[in-house]
Amino acid sequence: MNNTWLLYMSFAAVLVFVGLYCLLSMRNLIKLFIGIEVVSKGISLALVATGYAKKNILVAQALAVTFIVIEVSVVATALAIIINTYRHTRSLDIRKLAKLKG
Amino acid sequence: MIIEIALLCGLVLFSVAAVLFRDLLRAAICLAVASLLLGIIFFRMKAPYIGAFEISIVAGLITVLFIVTIALTKTGGDVRESKAASWIFPLFFVVFLVLDFFVMRGLMGKIPALGGTREQGTFGEVLWKLRTFDLVGQIGVIFAGVLAVLALFRKRDKDDE
Repeated sequence: MNNTWLLYMSFAAVLVFVGLYCLLSMRNLIKLFIGIEVVSKGISLALVATGYAKKNILVAQALAVTFIVIEVSVVATALAIIINTYRHTRSLDIRKLAKLKG
Repeated sequence: MIIEIALLCGLVLFSVAAVLFRDLLRAAICLAVASLLLGIIFFRMKAPYIGAFEISIVAGLITVLFIVTIALTKTGGDVRESKAASWIFPLFFVVFLVLDFFVMRGLMGKIPALGGTREQGTFGEVLWKLRTFDLVGQIGVIFAGVLAVLALFRKRDKDDE
């Protein structure tokens, strides 16, 4: 069972890496948010896989449900912020936000 | 076990595609497929509740939110990404895979067996009895999200203009 857990963990690490790479290298605001989503997929995989390996799947599921609810709230708020930013700057480029002009 | 590994590889592949596709709509759909695969993995781990949550909320609702946002910001979607980002990615990815493989192989057998007694009861009982405060927090988070979206889209007062 331990090796199965390590297998899931290694895939979760790959997902977190892909998401972090996207966050570090992309410039489009929506693309950055897709990166955050990929990271969160890795985290929920790690949570549930640990519960599965420890035979505590019910608690892991309860935690993952909390995680998904928080994820949805964050996505809704962040996408609303992205739309507002777009209305202000007429662009989705993250570099235009660096100017911080009124 | 082979099915699990295939599903996990598909999950990573679709996540990479979502990150690398230039077309945002395709990227959002790849993300939805990745969520679907993750949901199937959860079902196979005997975690049906979270699998259903993942498929209905993350693959469904969040994809709809993404597509609505992409539609609303259609003309601004052509942000020039740096070319180097997609060229260097395979190199970093392979290096990380090798590192990941060696670290996990090094850890194999060194981590003490994950103990733990089998749980009693059902998912509902665990959620209502053990994690009641989580539920209160979740309700608070949902309200905070709703209020934040309302605050962001409120009409401007005449005084502001």
